[in-house]
Amino acid sequence: MAYAGSAVHIGCAFSIVEILCVLYNNFLRFPENDCEHENRDYLILSKGHGVMAQYACMRYLDWLSQDELDVYFSNGSQLKGLSDSRVKGLEVTSGSLGHGLSVGVGMAFGASLSGSDQKTFVIVGDGEINEGSVWEALLFASHHQLKNLLVIVDANGYQAMGKTDEVIGLGNIESKFESFGFDVQTVDGHSEASLQETIEQLLSLPTAKPKALIANTVKGKGVSFMENNNVWHYSRLNSETLKQALAEIDGA
Amino acid sequence: MRDALSNSLVNIAANNSKAILLTGDHGYALFDSFRKSYPKQYVNAGIAEQNMVGVAAGLARTGYRPIVYGLSAFVPIRVLEQIKLDVCHDNLPVIFLGDGAGFVYGTLGTSHQSTEDIAATRAIPNLTIFSPCDRFEMSAVMRAATEIGGPVYIRIGKCDLGDVHPQEISYKTGDLIELTQADSDITFFATGSMVKSAQQLAQEFNNANVVSVPTLKPINTQQVVSLLKKSRVAVVFEEHNVNAGLGAVICEISAELCPIRILRIGVTDRFSEHCGDYGYLLHEHGLDLATLRDKIRKYLQTITL
Repeated sequence: MAYAGSAVHIGCAFSIVEILCVLYNNFLRFPENDCEHENRDYLILSKGHGVMAQYACMRYLDWLSQDELDVYFSNGSQLKGLSDSRVKGLEVTSGSLGHGLSVGVGMAFGASLSGSDQKTFVIVGDGEINEGSVWEALLFASHHQLKNLLVIVDANGYQAMGKTDEVIGLGNIESKFESFGFDVQTVDGHSEASLQETIEQLLSLPTAKPKALIANTVKGKGVSFMENNNVWHYSRLNSETLKQALAEIDGA
Repeated sequence: MRDALSNSLVNIAANNSKAILLTGDHGYALFDSFRKSYPKQYVNAGIAEQNMVGVAAGLARTGYRPIVYGLSAFVPIRVLEQIKLDVCHDNLPVIFLGDGAGFVYGTLGTSHQSTEDIAATRAIPNLTIFSPCDRFEMSAVMRAATEIGGPVYIRIGKCDLGDVHPQEISYKTGDLIELTQADSDITFFATGSMVKSAQQLAQEFNNANVVSVPTLKPINTQQVVSLLKKSRVAVVFEEHNVNAGLGAVICEISAELCPIRILRIGVTDRFSEHCGDYGYLLHEHGLDLATLRDKIRKYLQTITL
């Protein structure tokens, strides 16, 4: 997909692969495998730059065809570079950062007002939480006791132009979320077993608090020359790098 | 006009349990009866407008019909991107109420004045824009807004200027309302607070036809053209920047379909210079009756030379 479309943001997608797999496989409820079912759980990729990983999952779920994936990022394709709400299976248009969490909070609020047991999962990037609107959303979620909300921070330590600590230091993300009234756990974001166990723990807590999971991840995970190498925020694959990347992923 | 707004909100909540009013910690007495009657449909989202609009989008996606209230300096201006991306991109049924448009909060200064909101919202697809001039138009556009089923911005300006219409009106979105049946070669187009001024000046200028424009977008183009066709000259009044507001709307249609001479009167692309109440700032911006009269006279003299 990334090679066919000569797409960017590969590193952003590779840091959330396991998170998405665990959510789709173990937690997200889509009755009749219908991504538009009115009783579905909501998954919002607020860091829309990672959408390639979500498209890959949607291919497995048969919501997208291989033909559609092959034209991702190309002229005339429905699959734009970043997450777009007009694609069935995606809830919001994101990529302008700091939007998706508020929309997700609104959906969790709506489900809560309606007495529905639908859950809302929102994935934000650690770079994304530079945005002030994220913290507005956390205040609102906490005030309205949206226990049906799980915010997952993809803490890969990088943003577009460098390391998060060097661009604008975030300090301790876990304690920040705690101080905003969330039940928080931190986890290895590439261990599917840990992700599953920790999300189960969080969701089964009896408190009325919204939940947050800080997932420590590696930008570009799975391909040695992409890992923690921020040029893969913007770099495109050529036939040579594609071959190397596939060899490493297939070998893993 | 504020009573009409307050009553409309209560009516909407009474007729639809999915209607939810969100405010960014503004409104105070305006919502007294709403809060009393429908406390569960009222949310003060705090001084956090960006999140408020995102939450409204989320509520709309889950079947609710949010109404988002703020001062027009903040809703839509501060949250323009949320309106564009979270709401309008998917044509979600959210009504935005931008109160105090123009110079209503004059003494507070530039932060609370808005003369760019029409220009900014006009360029967002799917968004309907209303600008009522009195309590009857206020009630009418609120009724229309609930029926549209997509995003709506209602610009609410100076509210205590008195009635323009003699009675309740029935209104179709997009239409202009001819307030006079005069057979003049001059037509005055005005919106919001400036309709009253246009009415007051019409007699002095050949009994000009006075047309209220409650919808800025989408506008009934054919009706604009037929009004232009019977005019030699038009004057457009708005308490808004002359760039990209109602004056621009009329000029764009005129230029393409029926070229005539048009004078645009509004804020001349500048911020307020001084502290001042509503009347003071209208004068500072040349929108008081005396200056309006003078501008129109001079223009008419120029073009008849």
